[in-house]
Amino acid sequence: MARISRQRPSRPKVAATVAVAIVAILLPFAMNAFQLTTAVFVVIAAIGALGLGVLTGYAGQISLGHAFFLAIGAYTAAVLGGNDHLSAAIWLPAAGLVAALCGALVGPAALRLRGLYLAIVTIGLVFIGQHVWFNVAAISGGPGGRSFPAVAFGSFDFSVGNQLTIGGLVIDHNGLYYYLALIILALAMLYVWNLSRSRPGRAMQAVREREIAASVMGVNLARTKVSAFAISSFLAGISGALYASFLSFVTPDQWSLLLSVQYVAAIIVGGIGTVWGPVLGSIVIFALPPVLQSLVPQTASGGVPIDDITSIVYGLLIIVFFVFEPGGVVGLARRLQRVWEGARARQEPMHKHDGEEPSQRQEQSMEERVPTWAK
Amino acid sequence: MSTSSAPLLDVRDLTLRFGNVTAFEDVSFDVHRGELFAVIGPNGAGKTSLFNALSRVYEPSAGSVRFDGADLLGLPVTRLAAAGLGRTFQNLALFDQLTALENVLIGRHHLMHAGALRGGVWLGYARREEHRHRAAAIEALEFAGVAEHAHTPVGMLPFGIRKRLEVARALAMEPKLMLLDEPVAGMSVAEREEIAALVCRLQSELGLTVLLVEHDMGMVMAIAQRVLVLDFGEMIALGTPAAVQSDERVIRAYLGQDLEAVGGGLTQPPVLASQDGERRSA
Amino acid sequence: MSQFLQLLFQGFSLGCIYALVALGFTVIYRASKVINFAQGSLLLVGAYLVSVLATGLNLPFALAVVVAIALLAAGGVLFQTLVLRRVLGQPVFTLVMITIGLSIVIDSAVPAIFGPNARILGDPWGASAVHLGGVTLNWVRIWAIVCTVVILLGFFAFDRFSRYGLAMRATAVDEEAAMAVGVPVARVYAIAWAIAGGVAAVGGLFLAGFPSAPNPTLGDVALRAFPAIILGGLDSPLGAVVGGIAIGIVEVLTSGYAPGWLGTNFSDVAPYIVMILVLLIRPYGLFGARPVERV
Repeated sequence: MARISRQRPSRPKVAATVAVAIVAILLPFAMNAFQLTTAVFVVIAAIGALGLGVLTGYAGQISLGHAFFLAIGAYTAAVLGGNDHLSAAIWLPAAGLVAALCGALVGPAALRLRGLYLAIVTIGLVFIGQHVWFNVAAISGGPGGRSFPAVAFGSFDFSVGNQLTIGGLVIDHNGLYYYLALIILALAMLYVWNLSRSRPGRAMQAVREREIAASVMGVNLARTKVSAFAISSFLAGISGALYASFLSFVTPDQWSLLLSVQYVAAIIVGGIGTVWGPVLGSIVIFALPPVLQSLVPQTASGGVPIDDITSIVYGLLIIVFFVFEPGGVVGLARRLQRVWEGARARQEPMHKHDGEEPSQRQEQSMEERVPTWAK
Repeated sequence: MSTSSAPLLDVRDLTLRFGNVTAFEDVSFDVHRGELFAVIGPNGAGKTSLFNALSRVYEPSAGSVRFDGADLLGLPVTRLAAAGLGRTFQNLALFDQLTALENVLIGRHHLMHAGALRGGVWLGYARREEHRHRAAAIEALEFAGVAEHAHTPVGMLPFGIRKRLEVARALAMEPKLMLLDEPVAGMSVAEREEIAALVCRLQSELGLTVLLVEHDMGMVMAIAQRVLVLDFGEMIALGTPAAVQSDERVIRAYLGQDLEAVGGGLTQPPVLASQDGERRSA
Repeated sequence: MSQFLQLLFQGFSLGCIYALVALGFTVIYRASKVINFAQGSLLLVGAYLVSVLATGLNLPFALAVVVAIALLAAGGVLFQTLVLRRVLGQPVFTLVMITIGLSIVIDSAVPAIFGPNARILGDPWGASAVHLGGVTLNWVRIWAIVCTVVILLGFFAFDRFSRYGLAMRATAVDEEAAMAVGVPVARVYAIAWAIAGGVAAVGGLFLAGFPSAPNPTLGDVALRAFPAIILGGLDSPLGAVVGGIAIGIVEVLTSGYAPGWLGTNFSDVAPYIVMILVLLIRPYGLFGARPVERV
């Protein structure tokens, strides 16, 4: 009985998570400014990617509209923090909540629309959003863009030049954003993990697999889809607000379809339907362009813009990656894990369960076990 | 408050049409509490359509259904589980990427309450709820004899195990009425006996009311209390297995010819090839 | 009134180009359920191919067009056989990501090779036009309509009357069943990509005609064709055509008549708004059908 009812993750997984956490905490001290900036972008993006992972990975709702919700979060932060000068303790959660509300309003579309139809409506959201951002200068600053508030808690703010000294350690502007984003990411991952092992996460996955059967089992499709959109948009809003705040200046053309596509790429590359997938995928997708840019020497490009070269390589890597590892990074990790387990199994004999023969256990369970609630 | 002698399921003149095609018409029967009631008929008779109408995958075109005293057709689909209706699917509707245990836990969905907020927090309400219902889910798995596969993704399980898993999942819903849609379709003789035993135990040990759609005559005749026979969407017989077995219309529907020519009633699974040709196709 | 007719004509012509984009897209989607995000990029390649062949290699324009169609069709087949076929059987997401990767590569490779500035298309029409009752009918636009009609008729004939058209429809409905009865499914996919490539060449060349020119942003225009695809319903080539023309007309009429408070370039989003409104009433587009689900 105890063998079956295992709820805690296995020891190797816990150890690996702790190791990653330690590395993540120590990372800023091993990196130069450029690398740390990239890391900040990656962690902030991972928050948003996690959200998309809930919507598309767990609930199976295809969305290319993530850029729209990122923008909503960013502009909420701008209006509350920049125009009204409220503290980050207010505008950051508000960014998430306003975006979540918008997500909940879009959610019902997923009840009527499926698959590609839903996907293209979400593309429409991005374009309509961009139309609004380009035209309503009061919110977005118009095509020229606007500045975004730095994170500030009370009198201490994260803007460039400020730093925090703890013990002998100095944490600069990048480091502050990094740790803030890291904490939020950790909380978000915990939330999503809890979701996946409890009733609502299961319901989402059932809806992804077979809607009709799920509803016959009692799953409320409307509630499940709307909450998936709301959760996804909440995380997108927070991610968008942090992103804009870190960049401190954003033009509306940045909330583009390409940005949505990058998030979709991140969750697919990382592995659909997992907690770590979106995070690993974000590392690949969002760290790659800056890394590529730093690798290509400025002089060797022969007049061709660096952006184009890095984009070409980026696109080729996506193609090559998916041709050879369709399961994404998590698929790759699972493949390696199976190889590892296969090697170990060949070394140990099969052990019996609790000293009984398997067939004995089977007979007993068929005849004698009647569910207690049925008596 | 319904008395125990009132039927659990009362179907009156139920009709289902898809445009010009009639799946079944004017079907009336009732199912008593604790009974094992079977619906049989040749291919295309409308048996699975009947199930689909009862579990509201399709909306019936006419007729009424009373379940435990309440109007079933007035309920939204998502409330059927809470009303006490559990079902398995002919072509299996398991969630392949989830484990067996997780599949059965979906059956518990309507009995649980944690939503996105409590589930995301986990500690406290959701965790306690999960513990409780996992235990119940495992009991259902054990009853069906598939507990050892609890943590295996369903997509990796063999067909026979999956069939039993569907029963476990329907069982975990704590239904008043179990709709089993061809539980032995596609199974070997040995597997059929095991499933038949499992179905019997649902009734004998758990006191569940079972409504069964099946092709396998031998199994149905052995375990059902009453049988409804459909052919081309019409009721052609309703009664005990013995009565139905010797009913001329039933024999003709399955074999396409008279009783004398065959030399007796149906005692084994019927061969569907016919000698007058036009109506039967396998 | 003549302004209205003018805009109607321009909208119809643009709509024909969108219909071609939608057709190329739907052919692939119907055959293999793959959402080809690179369709717009294929148009970009088409425009540049024609331009290079006509102005760089100085081929006669008609020949340049034919060669461009052939090259792009071949390119589509090549991509399908060399890349996509390796991942046959993988979830659709994987295939979609590969087409996204392709679009990124193409959209960056074109300006990398040819520079960011517009090229000369090399077409014989330029800005020439026929004037009829106050309406300027540009030859480019007339030819766009004519070619689209010819291509669509050809495609419908293929779809309804040829063996491979039937094979394509069979594969779209049930790939495994089609394989089981001997349909050469891999060849069907290759044909779908060939058609998509060829159609993209024609669409691209007209998209790059007056008043536009071959330039690296052409691929984005194809995104405006997406509402056409949805409006018409994914399963219906006829729907794609009707959708394309409808969207083209909506876009141009909106650019002409939309009030200022709707913002500048409202015509860019008008197609999407129309699409969303239609989908609210008909969730599978004007011509699409609810997929039959067996439980």
